[in-house]
Amino acid sequence: MSTSAHPMLKYLKTQAPTGPRLPLILCPGCGAGQVLNYTLHAVDRILEEDNWPKEHFVFISGVGCSSRLTSHYLQFDSGWTLHGRSLAIATGALLANPRLKIIVFTGDGDAAAIGGNHFIHACRRNLNMTIICINNGLYGMTGGQVAPTTELGETTPTTPHGNVEDPFDLCRLAETAGAPYVARWTTAHPRQAIKTITKGIRKNGTAFIEILSQCPVHKKTAPVELFRRLREITVSKKDTDAIAAGKIPLGEFCNLDKSDWIARYQQIIENARSPEAD
Amino acid sequence: MYTFCLNPSYCKGCGICIEVCPKSAIKSSGRIDAKGHELPEEQDMTRCTGCKLCEIVCPDFAIAIASEESTEEVPNEEK
Repeated sequence: MSTSAHPMLKYLKTQAPTGPRLPLILCPGCGAGQVLNYTLHAVDRILEEDNWPKEHFVFISGVGCSSRLTSHYLQFDSGWTLHGRSLAIATGALLANPRLKIIVFTGDGDAAAIGGNHFIHACRRNLNMTIICINNGLYGMTGGQVAPTTELGETTPTTPHGNVEDPFDLCRLAETAGAPYVARWTTAHPRQAIKTITKGIRKNGTAFIEILSQCPVHKKTAPVELFRRLREITVSKKDTDAIAAGKIPLGEFCNLDKSDWIARYQQIIENARSPEAD
Repeated sequence: MYTFCLNPSYCKGCGICIEVCPKSAIKSSGRIDAKGHELPEEQDMTRCTGCKLCEIVCPDFAIAIASEESTEEVPNEEK
């Protein structure tokens, strides 16, 4: 057997001073590893085509399963920060150096529950960053408890008789809050996800990309089974009949041209520097 | 002709690569390794078209599809 290795391993820290860092800490079949793989494919494409320096990429995450993907494994500048505050820290990094290409990995609990306010305001401010939300519909790291994105009627350790709450539609929330680029795919749509993440990173302004993911451990189902289910419960956003029947729409929900926060602030700085202003 | 290269120390046997392969070029080996994972193996690589879907969906960066022309090796060890 040949000894070729995965092409994206060139962006990962495989060895640490204490020993090998891989395999990833994630459970078998976890969607977070797939999203990392898709994101690295998108970043690889951008590094090849756009001539952006690798040093301009910064990965930031909060706390949760999805947030284990950054500083522990990536050979990019990265930060593993506070629960729900990844967007606040990303905002700070961007204001300190507006040239940065910031990619935030966040989970559904991280973005929608504890970091809900940061999420809304990052979208409203239209800061130039890409928010990749890995939505598995539960709190995986703490034992699979109910999250704001858990489907109605689903049983979890904290809702043993079924969830009575409606789930959050994060894409609609981001769109309403003012994010110019909003899209949703699942881990079962790899090519579309890579294309969307590439577009999101290139977008000038907040790009919110929700990736529906699987948690085989807490759903107590085989990864392949959940992978098939992700394809079954979702449809293209154009299929309005199926969406009315309860399926989850996928695709690009908005792609607007808006000036971002940094551009507007730059304008103020230029106006203040111009000779007419005393 | 393509070769299916699996890193057995990274693979956790989730089986997603077998599920996504459009040509059924890979299958489950049916053997449980020391960590309790059932790893995939090649079934008939002459069917492989090199779409690399298995490589893209792998959550653990365990798969590489090498084509006969380009056999340059990506270093596994970090300097």
